[in-house]
Parts: sequence; structure tokens; C-alpha cells
Amino acid sequence: MKRILIVDDAATVRLYHRQILEAAGYKVYEAVNGIEALEKSLQQPFDLYVVDINMPKLDGYGFLRELRSQDIYQAPAIMVSTEAQTSDHQQAFAAGANAYLVKPVKPEQLLIQVKLMIGEARG
Amino acid sequence: MTPLLEQFLSEARDFLEGIGEKLMQLEDAPGDAELMTALFRMVHTLKGNSGLFDFPEMTRVLHAGEDLMDAVRHEQVEYSQDLADRLLDAMDFVGMLCDEVEAKGSIGAHHAADSARLAESLRRLIASVDAAAAVVAVVASALPNALTETGIVVAEADLPPLVDIPESIRMDAYRQACGGVDLHWLDYTPAADCFFQGDDPFFQARGTPGFLWGSITVRQPWPALAELDAYRCVLEFHLLTTAPREQLDEYYRYVPDQVRMIPVTPLFLALPQGNRNGGPVAYENFVDKALGLLGANQLEDLVLAASNLIELSSLELWLSSALRWLLLVMELEPENRNAFAKIIESLRRQSPPKWTELLPKVTGGNPPAKTELHLSQHSLTPEEAEVMTKMLDVQREILNLPIQENWQLGRIKAVAATLTGCLMASGDVAARAGLEAATAMALEEAASLPLLAWLDQFQQTRSTASVESLVNQADVGVPVPRNLSEIQSDLSADAVRVSDVDAEAKFGRRAEDAGIGPKSLKVDQQKIDRLMNLIGEMVVSKNALPYLAGRAEDVFGVRDLSREIKAQYTVINRIAEEMQDAIMQVRMMPVSFVFQRFPRLVRDTSRKLGKEVNLVLVGEDTEADKNVIEALGDPLVHIVRNSLDHGFEQPDERRAVGKPVAGTLTIRASQESDRVVIEIQDDGKGIDPDIVKRKAYQKGIIDEATLERISDQDAINLIFAAGLSTVDVISDLSGRGVGMDVVRTAVEKVNGAISLESEIGKGTRIRLSLPLSMAVTHVMLIESAGQTFGIPMDSVLETVRVPCASISSIKQSLVTVLRGNIVPLKSINALLAIAAPPQANSDHELAVLVVRCGNEAVGLLVDDFRETVDIILKPMTGVLADIPVYAGSALMGDGSVLMVLNIKELLP
Amino acid sequence: MSLEFKKNQVHFKDMVGVEDAEELLEWLQKTPAAKVDFSACTHLHPANLQVLMAASPSIMVWPADAAFSAWLQSALDQHEDPY
Repeated sequence: MKRILIVDDAATVRLYHRQILEAAGYKVYEAVNGIEALEKSLQQPFDLYVVDINMPKLDGYGFLRELRSQDIYQAPAIMVSTEAQTSDHQQAFAAGANAYLVKPVKPEQLLIQVKLMIGEARG
Repeated sequence: MTPLLEQFLSEARDFLEGIGEKLMQLEDAPGDAELMTALFRMVHTLKGNSGLFDFPEMTRVLHAGEDLMDAVRHEQVEYSQDLADRLLDAMDFVGMLCDEVEAKGSIGAHHAADSARLAESLRRLIASVDAAAAVVAVVASALPNALTETGIVVAEADLPPLVDIPESIRMDAYRQACGGVDLHWLDYTPAADCFFQGDDPFFQARGTPGFLWGSITVRQPWPALAELDAYRCVLEFHLLTTAPREQLDEYYRYVPDQVRMIPVTPLFLALPQGNRNGGPVAYENFVDKALGLLGANQLEDLVLAASNLIELSSLELWLSSALRWLLLVMELEPENRNAFAKIIESLRRQSPPKWTELLPKVTGGNPPAKTELHLSQHSLTPEEAEVMTKMLDVQREILNLPIQENWQLGRIKAVAATLTGCLMASGDVAARAGLEAATAMALEEAASLPLLAWLDQFQQTRSTASVESLVNQADVGVPVPRNLSEIQSDLSADAVRVSDVDAEAKFGRRAEDAGIGPKSLKVDQQKIDRLMNLIGEMVVSKNALPYLAGRAEDVFGVRDLSREIKAQYTVINRIAEEMQDAIMQVRMMPVSFVFQRFPRLVRDTSRKLGKEVNLVLVGEDTEADKNVIEALGDPLVHIVRNSLDHGFEQPDERRAVGKPVAGTLTIRASQESDRVVIEIQDDGKGIDPDIVKRKAYQKGIIDEATLERISDQDAINLIFAAGLSTVDVISDLSGRGVGMDVVRTAVEKVNGAISLESEIGKGTRIRLSLPLSMAVTHVMLIESAGQTFGIPMDSVLETVRVPCASISSIKQSLVTVLRGNIVPLKSINALLAIAAPPQANSDHELAVLVVRCGNEAVGLLVDDFRETVDIILKPMTGVLADIPVYAGSALMGDGSVLMVLNIKELLP
Repeated sequence: MSLEFKKNQVHFKDMVGVEDAEELLEWLQKTPAAKVDFSACTHLHPANLQVLMAASPSIMVWPADAAFSAWLQSALDQHEDPY
């Protein structure tokens, strides 16, 4: 089963994304900030990351940069943020994101991205 | 309520509290950047959360607050008292909306005005700096039931006959749906015999909530009138409504099997109607021109062309109807270009647009079935293909970023992973080998070039195969109703044109700030209560073991077994006690939970009164049981208000008597053995015992004799008597008859005590003492008239056996003398309306339980005393809940139920 | 009385209850060119509606309430083509 790590400090957003992804059959893990996400990524491989930008301790950009410098499987990452500005997109891609979605993310929208990046939940 | 909404509300409350707290702290340290960042993040996150729901009123205010805090954070706007006030107002409003959501599940539309006003008030503060930001209208994205809206009707045959609805009503419905309401088509087929049951289905249908339009049809052809049975219902009702599904379910809850509800996708309403004799040939030019404009993205010209044509055409024409729809859809779903294309195409044939072709194949409904579908076909739906194109473009842009540091190779790996994912998803397995080779080469050279080259080649082959012009796509039915339309803008290529970006420069934005919340687990209170109940039952069940040991020995004569049971009992008893203790610990919370509201309360209230008061909080981390803490809240607020209102003098008054102009209010919490003590102390004018005395006398609370000899302390205590207020002026804060008696009652309800000291000119100190935990009650068992009752030990003073001879009667009341004091006696049977006299024992003594009632001792005549036990008191439920003489009930070790009496209620 | 019969006309008044359906049916059977006046009608029990639908008398006046009128027209108005 494909494993996805949701990195977001807002519990509500984590639950929202979890519900969408679990309903589609993915296995979902959570981290509340960049540090925790990094720790988890080093412990076990994920197939995809869904990452918020603004978080305490280590933000989304910082997390992705740290992640990309690790010698582990480099899974695609979707950056999710309320900011819709071009400069934020650029910064996200420079840090190592592979897609950028604006919150609130529509379920179909997220699922298409996820499917394209890592395939269906089963199979 | 969905778990998501619950989570949102719980988190929102935390944030609101945190925001209030941070604002308070900022008041003392307006320059603290760290505080500012934390504050911004909370408002930001809360706004993001609210955006998941259809709460535009809430999101609007939060968005304004977020923008304001962002401006403050970047020192574009200066922090001020006024700013804090407005933000606090806004957060109060949001809190109120949360309450409403919790109570009703939604936010009433009538809040829109307040929401706009508050948002405007916040934005006005930014406006001076950034005029543009003020103009930005917040469009809260409507996402009704995003997670539940999975079952969309697909088959054409299943579609309701929406075309029966007049165009104007359909347009209205479409407008409303684009504004966020749900649309449902409803078929209501009443039972044939329903008239005999007194039903009026027509009346029911007419009253449907959210009703927009309705029609009535018949199930079968009419027979000749002579054979008609008027009382056999053969009608069917059809209607379109804007009410949410739950409301409809509720409305038709008695006949769910007779109702079919079909969610209506808004675009499906766009069905042109009218006279087709307008000559399609005349429109051929328009269709081509319109598609051209659409392809060239000249939407304004398209609108103009359509409007012009409408003016030239008769209103009844099918064609003008189609154009009206085109304009409406362009207005309300400006991103949905496929829809425009469909309508324009329909003009050519004058046949309705086939909206079903636009439905997304991925609706998140049933994953396993969906998987099979895709496994077998292994091809992408048109909208997926489109997203994939964008995604490949994004990867290209990422590859175009300069590579200056080694870690950036990780970025390349991630791009390779993403591209691999795309290949897998599109079933293009053959291309994988090339991709892998290119990736390996790129990593070896530490450059993106090989991958870029591969991508170029791949996209070229792909575009010839599948990417067609938008116009052609419309014909084959490519995609995307409004939900998916944003993807285009999100991933649009110009958003990522970053070829010469100096990536290094951006990396300054490291996470610099410390975290906000402590690491703790949130547990629903009900779960803890359940644990509490379970341990209660455990404690009680465990008490059955000694009974069992006794029976093993006495009844069955097996002594060894009895001893073993007792040994086991000791172990279980210890574990149960520890467990009970542990659970109590879970329920403990710091008094700061109550204290945190005081900074705001004191600030607002004193400002309103024109007084200056500093608040000092001490011992905020003192802990007590949750119930106790919660019970503390209201009395404390009352006391603090009282103190601010009547305790503190006006600043000039204070200056005149040589006191510091700003008064000090100290709230101090501490633990004393098994009680938590809260002191509220002010340095105000104190309470004048003479005034209290006089007022008490005037109100008839004390008589003349008492007035003469009462001590000052006793006089001050009169303030707790019902109906006495010490001030003549009644302010809007404390209201009429400032009842300290109410405070006392509330405190006593949780077995607390309250005392008050005051010195004229120096101030007043109120002391509350409450039990640390209310969960375990120590009770004494007594017997009377063959029943066992429990009496809380707090109220028991002593147990004595009094010879019948020592009981005398004064004025028809029984009394006895104990150590020189006259103690009135009451028969517990009489108090409980049990018609049985007290039973004396063989020595002609009566059992008297002396209890405290207020400041007096009263003797209760019972038949016999028994042991004392610890019980978990459960409040009475059902009809018994209304009988105040019972404090509650508890399960006993032998399985019986013990009724615990409430002494204060029992004694008149 | 919620139903008023005058020659070949029937006037529906206020709320017309289920009990009137029988009489309405009998009247319609013996009145071939029946005409209906809903002007003072606020609601009618669907039993009456069924009888009217089966007999299809001509409607002289529709109810004042627009929504109610639209409901009735969907059931009784067979002739007028909207376009």
C-alpha cells in the first residue's frame, strides 16, 4: 500500500487530507512540523509527501531542503499552502517540491495529483 | 457533526484562546517579534482551517485579521491598542460563530453583515499602507460537503427531467448553486393508501424546505371517471430544492422509502429551451467565431459577441436561450472553459449540451472498483491527462533551476520519482527505461540536462498523440466541471518560470521560531468520564470479594479458599486504588484554565469603568479536578467583576487618599492538603460593616437585637445573605442585587467554602476553598425503616446514641442536650415521608446522627449506623433527577444501589 | 363548504379537504363541460386533484398564490405550450 506523509501543524487540515487520502485507499502518516517529518522520513520510506509551508520549528521549505539532502528515496512532494502567489510557487519548487496546490485543496484535485505521482492506492 | 468539523471546532477554540493570550502579552511587549510571528501563525492557520468548510463569514474576518497581522509583522502597520481591540472583537465574533456551528452545524446568513463590518474595520488599519490590499475582496471558496459529495448521477437515463423547469427558475437555481447551496431533485411517490392514513402528500410536498419548483404527474393513465377511485393515490410529486440533504432527510423522515433525492450538478441546469426555428445556418458563423475567441482566450470579446447576438434575436428562440446560458455560465464559472465550449457547440446542432460527458470519472467514491477500472484500461481520463501535462511542465521548470549545491540533486531524484509516477499512471511503461537511463546520467553529471532532454522528447511524442486543441477536446467531451478547474491556474506554466532565480537567496527563510503548543494528547472528555465510571464500578465490584471470602468461610466452610480470596483482594485493591488515582490525575487540570480569561476581563471591565487595575495571577499551575475547575469559573468571574465594580475606587479618589492610582487585583491559587484554595484580593476601599449592617436590617435580614450586638466580621459575612447588595448604585456590570449569595451557593454546591475579610480603606480578600477532586465521596451508611442510605461525611459531625428519656419536646419539636448545647432532632423517616417511627435499640437508645446544616448542628434520628465507605457518586437520572433530597446514587459491592442524601435539601 | 357548485362551474374556496373528493367526482361525472375557479383556493387535498386530473375540466381562474398555481398548472394545464 502506498504511504503518504502529511506534514501540517493544523490538526484540522491533517484530518481533512487524511480523510481524502484514506478514502482513496492510501496509508497515511502525519507529522506536525518539519522536524518531526524529517525524523519520520529517516525512519521509514514514504511514497509521497503533502507539505504545508508555514509551520513552527521547521517550515515546509526547510523540511524539503533537508529532506532532499538526505540519502534516502526521494519521493515526490506536494506543497500545500494558502498562498497563491507566484513567488511562493517558485520558492517551493526551488526547495524541492514537485507540485503546488492552494488550500483548501479540492479532494479530486489532490487525488489526481497523487495518482499521477505515485499511482493508485493498490496495484 | 463530522469528525472533521469536531476537530476544527476544538482546534479553533485553542487558537482563539491562544490569540487572545498573545494579544494580551503583546500589550506589554509590543515590539516582541517572536510573539508577533506566533500570533500571525495562529490567525493564519485558523483561517486556513476555516477555508475547508463553507463558512465564508468566518473566513472573511480571519482573512482580514491575517492580512493585518502580516502587515504588523512586517512593520508596515504599527501595533496599537486600537488594533488589539479590533482584533479581539473579531476573534470574539469568530468564537461566537464557532458556538453557532457547534449548536446548529452551520452559520446563519444574517452574520454576513457583521462579518463584512469587522473585516472592513480590520482592513481599514492596513488600508493606509496598502490601498490595493483593501480592495481585495475575499472570495471564500465554497466547498459544500466536499467529502460526502461522492455519488453524482452519471447515466443520462437517470437524470431528472430538468428541462421541465422554466428557464428563469433554473437560472436562479444555478446562481444559488454557484453561490454554494446544494441542489436536489426530489421524486416523491406517496403510498397508494396514504389518504386513508390522513396524509396529504401535496401539502407535504408544498412545504418542502428550500422549495424552488414543483410538478405533479400521474403514475398510470386515468381510467374513465366512473371507475376512478378518488381515494387511491396515484400521484407523483417532483421538485427542485436548495435545502441541504440533512434537512430534506429530516423533513421526509417518515416516508424515506417514498422519496428519491438526486443531487443536481449545477451545470446540468444549463439546458437551452425554446423555438428551434431560428435557422441554425445563421448561427454557423457565430459558432466558429466564438470557438475561435475561446481558443484565443479572448473571453471579453466572446461575451460581447454573444450579447450582441442576443439583442438581435427573439427571446423565445432556442438559440437565444443557449446564449443566455453561455453568458450566465461565463459569469459564474469563469474558469470552466470546457463548459463554454459545450454550450457553443450545442448551438451548432441545437441539441442540449451533453453535460454528463463533463463529469469527472474520479469522484473518490469507491476506490476498489475504480482501481480495477484503471488497472484494466491503464489510461488516463482526459482531465488527468491535462493535469499530467501541467505536471510535466512543472518538472521541467524545476529541472531548469540552477544546481549549485549537492543537496539539490535530491530535487532531481524527486523529479525523476514524479516522472516515473506519471509514466506508471499513464501506463506508458515502455518509456521507463529511457527515463531511468536519463536519471542515472543526470545524477552522475550532477546536472539536469539529460533529464530535460528526455522530457523534451517524451513530451513531443505525447503531444502528437494526445494533446489536442481545447475546441476539439470539447467535442470529445473533455472535462472538468468547476471542481477541477482550478488545477489549471494552480499549475499554470507562467507561475513557475524561474529559470534565472537565485535559489540560494530564498533560503533565508529558515524556521526560526520556537513551537507553540505543549506535547499532549487531546482526549474527549466523555472517554475520561467513561474511564471514571468504569473504575467506579471496578472499585465497587472489588468490594464484593470480602463478602465472597466471608461466605466461603461461613456458608461453605472452606477457610483456605477464604484466605486466598482475601489475599487476592489485597492485590486487586491496590491496583484499583492506583488506577483510580491515575485516572484522577488525568482529570486534573491547572487553574490557569480558568485564570486565563481574567486578563481580558479585567482589562475590558476596568477600561469601561474608567479605573486602572493591575492584575496579578499567582499559582496558575495549581491543579484540581476538571469538574472543580469548571465549577470555579462562574463564581470567580462574579467575584472579580464585583471587586472591579465596587471594590476599586476611581483613580482620582485613590490619588486623594494617597494610594497608587492603579489598583492591584491579586488572584492566588494554592493547594492546602486535599483542597485547592483561591484568594481574590483587592486593595480597594473595603467593605464598611456599618453599611452592611444597616442595609441588612432595612431588608429584614437581621432584627434589631442582632443589629446591636453583631460583630464587624459577622456583619461583613452578611454580604453572602440572599438579597443583599452593598452598593446603592447598580452598575451595568454586576447588575441588580449583585448576589454574593449566588456565589456562595455555587461554591457550596461543589462542597467548597467561601470566606471574606475586609478592612475599610485597605481592601477586601475573598477566599475560596474547594476539594481537589469531587469524584470520590466518603459517605456514612445509615439504616432507617429497613432501608440503607448514605450521608456525605462532610456534613456529619458525630454519631451518638441518646436514651429515649433524654429527648424532650419544645413547641412540638424534639430536642436533646449534647454537651450543654440544645440540638434539635428530626426523624429521617419523617423527612423522607416514610410512615414509621424511629426504632430504639434494646437499651432504649435512639441513634442520632449529628449533621451540620449551615452553621447549626441538627440531629437526625435514624434506626442504626453502619460503616463508612468511599463511593463514586453518580448524579440521579430520569425522574429521580428532579428530587433534590438525593445527591446521587452509587453501586455497592453486593450489587445494590445506595441512595445518597443531600443534607442541605433534606433539612427545611 | 369549500366547494361551491353553480351550474357548470365549481368554485374552490380556502382549503378543500379530502372529504369533498367524492362529491366533486359525482358532480364532474354529470357535468361534461365543467369549469373550475381556483381564485379563492389556498390548498386542495390531492384526492380532489386526482379527480380533476382524470376529468380534465377547463380551468377558468388559477389560484392567486404563484407557487401553488404553478403546482396545479403542472398537473392540470395540458394545453398551453410554453413556446
